Amino acid sequence: MTVKRQLSMVLDLNKCIGCHTCSAACKLMWTNRNGREFMYWNNVESQPGKGYPRDYENMGGGFDADGALRLGRQPSQEDYGIPWEYNYEDALMTGTDPWLRPNVKPTWGANWDEDEGEGDYPNSYYFYLPRLCNHCANPACLAACTRNAIYKRQEDGIVLVDQERCRGYRYCVNACPYKKIYFNEEISKSEKCIFCYPRIEKGLPTACAQQCVGRIRWIGYRDDEDGPIHKLVEKYKVALPLHAEWGTEPNVFYVPPLSPPKFGENGEQLDESRIPLSYLESLFGPRTGEVLDTLQEARQAKADGEGSELMDILIGYKHAEMFKLS
Amino acid sequence: MTLKHIANGPLVNRISRFTGLVTLAACMAASTNALADHSDRNPNVSEVKAWDTVKVSRIPDGIYLRTQNDPDDLIWDRLPKYRTNLLPAPPVHQSVGLRFEEGSTRGKHIYFQVARSDERLYIRMHWKDPTEDRATTVDKFGDGVAVQFALNDADTSYMMGSGHENPVNIWYWRAGEPQVENLVAGGYGSTTSLPQQSVHGGSAYFTSDVPEKREWQVVMSRPFESDGEHEVNFDRETVPMGFAIWQGSDNERDGNKRVTHTWILLDTRLDGNAPN
Repeated sequence: MTVKRQLSMVLDLNKCIGCHTCSAACKLMWTNRNGREFMYWNNVESQPGKGYPRDYENMGGGFDADGALRLGRQPSQEDYGIPWEYNYEDALMTGTDPWLRPNVKPTWGANWDEDEGEGDYPNSYYFYLPRLCNHCANPACLAACTRNAIYKRQEDGIVLVDQERCRGYRYCVNACPYKKIYFNEEISKSEKCIFCYPRIEKGLPTACAQQCVGRIRWIGYRDDEDGPIHKLVEKYKVALPLHAEWGTEPNVFYVPPLSPPKFGENGEQLDESRIPLSYLESLFGPRTGEVLDTLQEARQAKADGEGSELMDILIGYKHAEMFKLS
Repeated sequence: MTLKHIANGPLVNRISRFTGLVTLAACMAASTNALADHSDRNPNVSEVKAWDTVKVSRIPDGIYLRTQNDPDDLIWDRLPKYRTNLLPAPPVHQSVGLRFEEGSTRGKHIYFQVARSDERLYIRMHWKDPTEDRATTVDKFGDGVAVQFALNDADTSYMMGSGHENPVNIWYWRAGEPQVENLVAGGYGSTTSLPQQSVHGGSAYFTSDVPEKREWQVVMSRPFESDGEHEVNFDRETVPMGFAIWQGSDNERDGNKRVTHTWILLDTRLDGNAPN
């Protein structure tokens, strides 16, 4: 699907500290009310892990190798996690309940398996993967909608659900392989990340990017050759889409995480990264190893005082350089 | 028993007087259910096929309806009943075709009655449904039923109308929703809620220890006079009419439904003349 311009985001997973400030910013701005309580338009999951909603990577959706829309599974409320609230007033203020407890029995939630990861000490590993709508160039949600209620804006490629047209059929929820479109039971319509378009239209970055403590997010247009997105994705080719094999052509890209070496049986350092390359490749595709090598080289060059434009971009000295919205 | 008997005979008074006798009403409802199970042997149920004409029944002016849209009202035991077969709607979008549950591939019977007074037109429908799916949640779909009327002639496509020149008016009921929705459509994907929500309705789910006997009963009604260009005008010789059922337990929604293929013609005149 061609649009005049495409707004895009790059996230450097080497810098994400898993603080969830992005999710909190998004939630406070968009999803803490009106039937959206269970939704995380932006979430941060520990990988390896089941993700959010639980096991979303195995729910199907997207397109097959021939470009045909694939059947996906509807996540259950349990897969998202049933939001719970605490009796703060009764337990802590009036003292009418001796226990501070949730109003529903928590059985699963968005970060139920946080920081678990994989592997055994001293070779255990995990990293954080923030996820939001990919505002895909070939959105499966849009292809699946029988109502033409989903559209991609010409001016910036942001994918939106027309709330007037949506009748809550949830084909989009099935079809999005990233499960980044959600059904709101209160209004019987589907809703999703809107890339903070009211902020974008005022020249401001998305709330998740603005608030990011680790400064891991860059926003800009794909065609802006002086902007960070073009440089990271096209020039240095260090930012990769998540699960490109699902065929939706995401416009959110990730700089894959380097990791320290693995330890051998006798505590010696092996010539193998702690996070198995094969695992990273299963997420970010076959170019991951090449990207990690580029990152290593740039990092070394910077350490050696040789200077590196790539490293300077990734450090993210100034917000003004990280967000190029015109 | 003919309509005239109802209108002129003592039954009218009985119906009026017995409104408070819940026990009797329950007995009558139970007997209706039992009959419906063997409707092929029930002489009061007529099988209707595509292009057949059904005639509206008269609710005489003297009849008192306890509640305007009570699907269990005694009056419905006294009016002619029709049965027709609903078949899976041909999928017109890849999303629909990809998502047929096994149950959605089977046909389904709907029983319906059409009645009018001078002011109002009523349609009562009932159909077997072993599961009562009221909730529309993140991972559940509600049961639903709809009646569709062609605004123009019967050459309008029975599949959501043929463009804006030949639209259809749809009355859509969904379990758990407070109101019957008054919709218009002129082709796939164009279904639109009308500004005038003049269709009202009532529903009841009749449960049983035998799952096959459980059923939904729904009544929809609207003032006989239409209001606005997209509301079906009943004041004409015949009105093309069709039905659709969505089975929530089969994840049916949208075009994933069972429908009457082509039209049944509804004769809304009260003069008693047979249609030409």
